[in-house]
Amino acid sequence: MRGISLYVHLPFCAARCPYCDFATAPASSALRARYLGALATEIAREGAALGRPRLRTIFVGGGTPSLLDPPEVARLDAALRAGFAHRPRPREVTVEANPATLDRARLEAWRELGVTRLSLGAQSLSARGLRALGRTHQPEDVPAAVEAARSLGLRVAIDLIFGWPGQSVGEWREDLDTAVALGPDHLSCYPLELELEPEASIANWPGAGWKGLERWRRTAAACQPDDRGLAVLYAVAQRYLARAGYRHYEISNWAREGSICLHNSTYWRNGPWLGVGAGAHSHLGGVRSCRPVSLARYIGDIERDAPRIVDQGADETVDAAILALRLDTGIDLARFALRRGADARERVARALGATGVVGLVRWSGDRVTLTPRGRILASEVFVQLIP
Amino acid sequence: MSDAQQRIRNFCVIAHVDHGKTTLSDRLLELTGTVAAREMHPLMLDSMPLEREKGITIKARAVRMSWTYADEAYELNLIDTPGHVDFNYEVSRSLAACEGAVLLVDVSQGIEAQTLANAYLAVEQGLEIIPVINKVDLPNIDLELVREDLRSTLGFKDEEILLASGKTGLGVRAILDAVVTRVPPPRGDGAAPLRALIFDSHYDQYRGVVAHVRVVDGSVAVGDRTLLMATDKASELLELGIFAPDARPRDRLLTGEVGYLATGLKTVLDCRVGDTVTSADAPAREPLHGYRPAKPMVFAGIYPTRSDDHPALRDALEKLKLNDASLVYEPETSQALGFGFRCGFLGLLHMEIVQERLEREYDLDIIATAPSVEYQVLTTRGAEVPIDNPAMLPDPTTTAEVREPWMKVTIIVPSQHVGPVMELAQGKRATLVEMTYVDPTRAMLRYDMPLSEVIVDFYDQLKSRSQGYASLDYEMAGYRAADVVLLEVLVAGVPVDALSTIVHRERAAYAGRNLVTKLRGLIPRQQFDVPIQAAIGGKIVSRETVKALRKNVLAKCYGGDITRKRKLLEKQKAGKKRMKMVGQVEIPQEAFLAVLRADEDAP
Repeated sequence: MRGISLYVHLPFCAARCPYCDFATAPASSALRARYLGALATEIAREGAALGRPRLRTIFVGGGTPSLLDPPEVARLDAALRAGFAHRPRPREVTVEANPATLDRARLEAWRELGVTRLSLGAQSLSARGLRALGRTHQPEDVPAAVEAARSLGLRVAIDLIFGWPGQSVGEWREDLDTAVALGPDHLSCYPLELELEPEASIANWPGAGWKGLERWRRTAAACQPDDRGLAVLYAVAQRYLARAGYRHYEISNWAREGSICLHNSTYWRNGPWLGVGAGAHSHLGGVRSCRPVSLARYIGDIERDAPRIVDQGADETVDAAILALRLDTGIDLARFALRRGADARERVARALGATGVVGLVRWSGDRVTLTPRGRILASEVFVQLIP
Repeated sequence: MSDAQQRIRNFCVIAHVDHGKTTLSDRLLELTGTVAAREMHPLMLDSMPLEREKGITIKARAVRMSWTYADEAYELNLIDTPGHVDFNYEVSRSLAACEGAVLLVDVSQGIEAQTLANAYLAVEQGLEIIPVINKVDLPNIDLELVREDLRSTLGFKDEEILLASGKTGLGVRAILDAVVTRVPPPRGDGAAPLRALIFDSHYDQYRGVVAHVRVVDGSVAVGDRTLLMATDKASELLELGIFAPDARPRDRLLTGEVGYLATGLKTVLDCRVGDTVTSADAPAREPLHGYRPAKPMVFAGIYPTRSDDHPALRDALEKLKLNDASLVYEPETSQALGFGFRCGFLGLLHMEIVQERLEREYDLDIIATAPSVEYQVLTTRGAEVPIDNPAMLPDPTTTAEVREPWMKVTIIVPSQHVGPVMELAQGKRATLVEMTYVDPTRAMLRYDMPLSEVIVDFYDQLKSRSQGYASLDYEMAGYRAADVVLLEVLVAGVPVDALSTIVHRERAAYAGRNLVTKLRGLIPRQQFDVPIQAAIGGKIVSRETVKALRKNVLAKCYGGDITRKRKLLEKQKAGKKRMKMVGQVEIPQEAFLAVLRADEDAP
């Protein structure tokens, strides 16, 4: 029994980051208790429906899961233990944290739940960068958080954002230097992407309209490095992190040997996982589905025992190929054919042979991987796969 | 004249788009019991989905209604007319099938240029006009001003003018009564050999080509062998009947009646609007006058974005042509776009409709080049060559003269907007012929103007400079000499013939700069730098570069959410379908159309 992966979404945040597009909600939300109740219900119900499978990995993401109070963490822990088999233990349990919200008591509560890995949303390690991104924590919170996690024996992952307004190549180098000096097991580096569609970012923030956010995003976008600048920053990260001993194993992710994120690898390898909570996505039995982003709608759906929203547009061949290409191991067309049939192989091979992707992919036998340039232009490759 | 013939009234409704023709027609159908109110499908007469969407009527149809006046039952045939200047000829044939016309004028808009043009056409053809002011239920209306329009332009007396509201049904009864009392019954000799006027035709999968006809002389019955006098096509009638409003088969159609004939012909090309149907066994001596074959005015290349779709495009054009005799096309090869077709259209709306039908009904991804007019080139050897594709303009050294088509343009515009409209016309090389007033508030401007200027969003600009109030009508005036040169475009060093355009010599360098600037904004960034150059007579006059694309990645794949990413990729893919690979560069549809506005200021 291989088990499945579980994603748990905790949307609450002390403040809304102006660039963020995930399902978030204010920490002070009147719906917080009901949400956690609905989450426990969903875990119990889905666990039972799946026959209490073993969990390979758990990822608690958000939002800011680290701001949950210890009793709330304990309640989640109890729900997980009741809903799923816990022997053998999951190989990896990650919780996301804001560097400023960690204290000893909270960390202990998470360790009780079985957390093995802490993912720190540092975003930048300079005061200028944090200000430019509208973050509320301070640069010195990050080393403190890393220290605390280490003292409990947790692995540490750090998230960084590059291409914030006004960022120079030198400043990016400094962020990378400072981050590497903290010795994380894993690093994620994302370009600042400013979507101009509200969607998830405002669904749960009453009174805080889209207008202000939009203004911030337009201004930020105007003083952000252009795409050539972003490409340079990305190339700097590729070169520098490789020299620092990190494997660039996914478009936006680097890890020390043996430290890749097993949970996220489930997504990229098109494996099965259950996602619970508002806006959470699942992939079970070849079907992609999700829960609504709005807390009120999510709670309503759980209370009515409504099914997840199925992604009708999903195409397993395309999705599997795109996800696999995100990894440095790429796609093995021989194995792809075995699993999905000769037609699927044909489709993918034809797309990857298109003239538009010359120089963006590398063929070695049956294996196709993105070249370094192909990674920053990945959508140019992926779009070929869309029928 | 037979008693039955005495009780026939054939009429049409002349109105501007949006002046409420369709709503009023619905009311007529409803009140005469032709369609029960509860069966009413809003906008009944528009049977093509595209028509319904664009709010205009593309193909004429006729509906038979019965109406009792002074205890006598009358047969009323409402013949629908197209409402766009592109279809002027079809309008004239519809009018020729009628003895009367309801002239419908929106009380808040007043009479419009095209309505007036059609009304004049109707007067010239001897039709009895019933003026109706529509939408009188609206608040704050000035009836007197519209009456003044009708008095001064067409000489109506106030007591002749009816008031109506298609929306509330007010005045509809009076309109039907007026049709009976004012419109004369059809003339025509029941004993003479058959002559029936084709005022519309369409292809029906089961019946072959169906001709909509008005029987002018004689009669026609099922099983008759008929002859079309212009195309010389004979056929045996399998079915004939009337529309009320759905098809109702009959045994025969008599003098003065309106109905349809299932000719069994395979293409509407053989059954042209304006042609005369006669008996093959006892043919009439002369056809009805007024027939002319449809003449395309605007030409464009249509190419599939994927070259494998070429046969599918050819099939689709063939099928469209079955039902659209005014569409012409012939194979064309472009160095840049590959194999496609040069198509001729009645006008821009017609072109737009064909494009949309190819995309929507035939699911083709196509690229249309900028529409062009047909130039006439006199060569130094004395030959006259028609040029409907700018790229084919002969070398200046072999050209004695180039001529371009000119139009007579009529504009009606509120007096306060006359200034901006005149300014617009001057910028379009137009010469003012006459300016008069249709009423104290509105002027009528008559211009001579090159067609090539009319097709470059003249209508849109006219609308915007008059706050939507100006209306436009135009007709061909003949060819005049033009001082023009060929402006060529190179993308990534490769000449793209489909981006070539013919421009006025003195504006050429300016047009080249503008076009290149526009193209830089329209051609999406590729994975390498793309230079765009404009050239006149082989000499580069301007250059810009589309910078290479450096980053295009959806970096976050958070919580396994691939759905949102896939949607973005699908959007990107859909954009690519509207593009054509020219060499190594993807060029979008908009770029080909930018050529049209080459000599206007870049935004």
